[in-house]
Formats: sequence, structure tokens, C-alpha cells
Amino acid sequence: MTKPRVAIFDLACCEGCQLQIVNMEDDLLNLLTVIDPVEWREAMSDQSTIYDVAIIEGSITRQADEIKVMEIRQRATYVVALGACATMGGVNKLKNNFAIHDVKKTVYGEAANMPHLDTFTVKALNEVIEVDFEVHGCPIDADELVHVVKCLLSGQTPSAPTHPVCVECKMAENCCRYEYDELCLGPLTRAGCDARCPANGFWCFGCRGFLPDANFTAAREMAAEHGKSLEDLESKLALFGSK
Amino acid sequence: MSIKKVGSAEFKGWVQSLIKKHTVYGVQAKEDRFAFDVLDAPEDLRLDYDVTILPPKKYIQPQKEVLLTFDENGVFESVMNEESFLILGVHPYDMVAISQMDKVFTKDNRDEHYMAYRERATIIVSDVQTASKDVFAGCMGTSTGEECSGHDVLLTLLADGSSLLEAKTEKGEALLDLIPNAAEPHEGDLEARSAIWESNRKELRKHELHVAPSDLPELLERSYDHPVWNEKSELCYACGSCNLVCPTCYCFNVQDDFNWDLKSGTRSRCWDSCMVSSFAKVAGDHDFRPLAAARYRHRYYRKGKYVPDMIGEIACVGCGRCITSCTAKIANPAEVYNCLLEKV
Repeated sequence: MTKPRVAIFDLACCEGCQLQIVNMEDDLLNLLTVIDPVEWREAMSDQSTIYDVAIIEGSITRQADEIKVMEIRQRATYVVALGACATMGGVNKLKNNFAIHDVKKTVYGEAANMPHLDTFTVKALNEVIEVDFEVHGCPIDADELVHVVKCLLSGQTPSAPTHPVCVECKMAENCCRYEYDELCLGPLTRAGCDARCPANGFWCFGCRGFLPDANFTAAREMAAEHGKSLEDLESKLALFGSK
Repeated sequence: MSIKKVGSAEFKGWVQSLIKKHTVYGVQAKEDRFAFDVLDAPEDLRLDYDVTILPPKKYIQPQKEVLLTFDENGVFESVMNEESFLILGVHPYDMVAISQMDKVFTKDNRDEHYMAYRERATIIVSDVQTASKDVFAGCMGTSTGEECSGHDVLLTLLADGSSLLEAKTEKGEALLDLIPNAAEPHEGDLEARSAIWESNRKELRKHELHVAPSDLPELLERSYDHPVWNEKSELCYACGSCNLVCPTCYCFNVQDDFNWDLKSGTRSRCWDSCMVSSFAKVAGDHDFRPLAAARYRHRYYRKGKYVPDMIGEIACVGCGRCITSCTAKIANPAEVYNCLLEKV
């Protein structure tokens, strides 16, 4: 079997998801037995315009990004969105809650109008191009990427869980954060992380995105039940749920 | 079968000898709750627990379990549990649930993977010392060591701090033999145990069920279109918590995972939940129960009608875990079944 040529690209992000791939250690060597990386800024110096699979992390914040991802889409057979910034805009979308000129002035001060700082409203990858597969999370779980890669190579359709984090949290036998009157976003958030945050005593931040059928009515009522205001809930939802 | 009476120091020594001889899973504190875990020292054992987050089912039907491996030619080999283990401190309602699972997994096709765990399990049941806030086992006839079966030893703590240990099987008898010079109980000790059972039948009723459990199948028979299903499920997160903590939920999902050669791999099964949106989705994206209300109703029918029709027992043991674990506070079986009585 010819190994597919894979290119990894980064847009606006902390590059922590790429780092998760570098951190795969033993499994990274296994990964390299089935793919041929041709561009991967964090791990190699080569670049290429010919590839079968493009893995893109980060969100779109400039016109140049839009043009870049449209080019990538034309060249790649499959496009994989890697991590929360790429799949849904991530924490970068907090910016969209404010007027763009205020944001630019706050961040860049006097240089705000320089052409290379011409940022606009943050977009997820699927708001600009068609995305074939999404690997959720902030950061991603490398095992999930491995699952997607193996599925692609063996002709299966990879699927992300469509149930909330509570499923994995209960299986891990964690104490529920609601028993401590914390506003955990687990009941609204897509599973697949093995409830890592609740397992370590934190409420779920919602980094894998809210489910299409997430029950926000229940979330509002339960916030009140646990002595929290709607503002408390909204501020938590904004971190990974801004439009 | 024999009954022995042991003092607290003697009991500790017995637990120590169990740990030396077996892999022991015992109840221990976990943050502000309790959980079964590998027991390293008798001091860690908390038989005064109210309820564990997950039932001991997790040792007999694990959350995730490899069923078989397959090679590049499609030749497969079953993977079976070969380890023996001992579960120490199972509450009677959880033992009733395990006995029900035994029926479910041996009816029709015998599930060899389940049985490989079950047959290697030695179970010591402990009568409840502390009632949990949502337990209603007293309403379900599952609250005492007198009302369960299938275990090897029954342990009851008496008011004077000593424990009664009753062997129920040959395996249990062998465990009792580990106690040197164990005393025989007096008639008064057995009466004290009966009094504890009588008390637990009354105390383990934090919620009242206003219908006899045996009447549930008939009540549900005429409640399919009751408004309670829609009303309650409006707040349902479809998060599956009620299923996952339930000692009588046994549904699982099967998945294949490839090794790096992309030809060989493993087939495993994992707990599933009929409350989550993907549960009834089949080929072609057809979905038998797309609405949360339909899934919500289904769960109560499983417990009160479908499984009872299959094995002749109500598939709710009144442990109250679903009530405690439901974030939206809509999963109280006693409340739901009472609703069906009041508003038809």
C-alpha cells in the first residue's frame, strides 16, 4: 500500500494540538509506518503542495487564512479539522463577543491598523470550507486522531461520540461536580475525553463542543437549583460556545 | 452451612487473611462518596458506607472488555477472564441485581464472557449499616441479606461491634475456615440479626412506592401514553447517568479496533445507555427512538415490564443511584411509578 501524503497546517491557535501528535512518542513511530508526512511545521522543515490528507489546526482570523484553507481544500482529498480552534473556533471566538475595532485597539494599540494585523471575526474551519472529519478537544486526544487515521486508511467512517461527557464520567466513577454545587458543562458537552477534567476534580469546560441536542433549558434550571445565576452559566458557556 | 461470630479485631485479621489469599475488591471512601476498589489493607474497608457510586457489577461486566482478537486472515480468538477475585461488602440490593444479571446472561444464549467473570467471583454480602439518601430497597423487597441469593458469605454487623458471618456456599465455608477458633453465635445473636433486617426493611425507604412491585408490569401495560413521559423528559439531558449507575442495566455496544497493520485488531464491548441519542440508531441512520421522551419512557418500561416479562423479576432493586446521579432530578422511579397511579 502506498502511504498517503499527509500535511499538517496551523492557523490561529496555541499549536498545542500539533504538540499532542509530537508527544505520541511510541505511537508516533507507528503512525509514521502508515503515513508519509510532507509538511509539518512543528516537527519538520520540508514543505509541499502535493498531499492526500490535510490536517488543519487553529481558527480562521484573517482573509489570508481563508485563501490558504481554500487552496488546501483544492489540493487535499481529505481535510481533517484538528482541535477546538479548527472544529468550532475555540477560545478565539471570545473575540466575536466584542466590536472588532475595540478588540484590535486593545490587543495591538497604535499598530491596530497595520495591514498584517488585519484580523476579522473568528471562524471555524467548516464555516469556510468543507471538512471531512473533526477531531475535537482543547487539546485533542492523540488516541482519537489515531482512530480517525486508522479509519481513513481502512475505509471506515470515523465517528465522534454523540453523547455527553457524563457517560464517560460515570464509567470512570467520578464524584459528580454538581454534588459540590459546581456548574459542570459535562451534561451538554460531547464526550470522547474520558471525562479527564472531572476525573481531576474540575468541572467540564466544554472544550469538545456542545451536542446538537444539548438541553440548555435543563442547564438553566439546574444552574438556579444549585444557587448559580444565569450570568454564571452564560460566562461558562461563552468559553467554548461563542458564535 | 455454618454461622460464626467474630469480634472486631478478629474480623480485621480475617480481612487481612482474605487480602493475602485473594484479589479483594472492597468498599472504600472516594472523595465524599464510596466506591469498590482493590483493597490493600483492612483499615481502608468502609462497610459503614451508604451506597457506592457504581455497583459492583463493574467487576463482572466491566465498563470496557475485549471479547476477541482477530488476525490479518480474519481468524479470531476469544479473550476470557481467567482471574479469580473476591468482592467484599456488596449490599443486598446489589446482590439481587447480580442474580438478575445471571439470569439475563444465561437465558437463551449463555454469555461466556460474563460467566468467565461471574464464576470466578466470590461475593461477600454485607447488610446495610447506613441508609443512603435515596435508597428505597425496603419497597422493593431487596433490603436485607435474607432477601438475596447467589452470594458466598453474608456479613451482618451487630450492635456490640461483633459481626455474624454466615457461609452460603462451599466457597464461603472455606473463607470462614480462615478464622481460627471462631465462636458459634448464640440464639440472641440471630435474633439481633433478625431485628436488624426488620429495621432495614423500614429504614431503607427514603422514597415510598405506592404500588406493589409485582403490579408494575400491569400498571405500565396501560400507561404508554401517560403525560408523565413528556413532562419529565423535558429536562432530560440524555446523558445516560441513570443507566450507567444502575446495577440492572446491562446493555453494551460492540466495536472493532484495528492494530497498526490495519488488518488485525480487537473486538471489545463497552457499557451503553438507552437514554443517549445514538442508542437506537441503526444502519441507514434509522432511529427507533429519536425523542428523549421515548427513550425516557423506554427505561421505565425496561425496569418495570420488559425485563420482568423476560426473567420474572422487577428489574429495579431500589438502590436509588439513578435518583442521586440525575443532574436534572427527573429519574426517581418511585416518583414516576406513583405518578402513573395518580393521574391516569
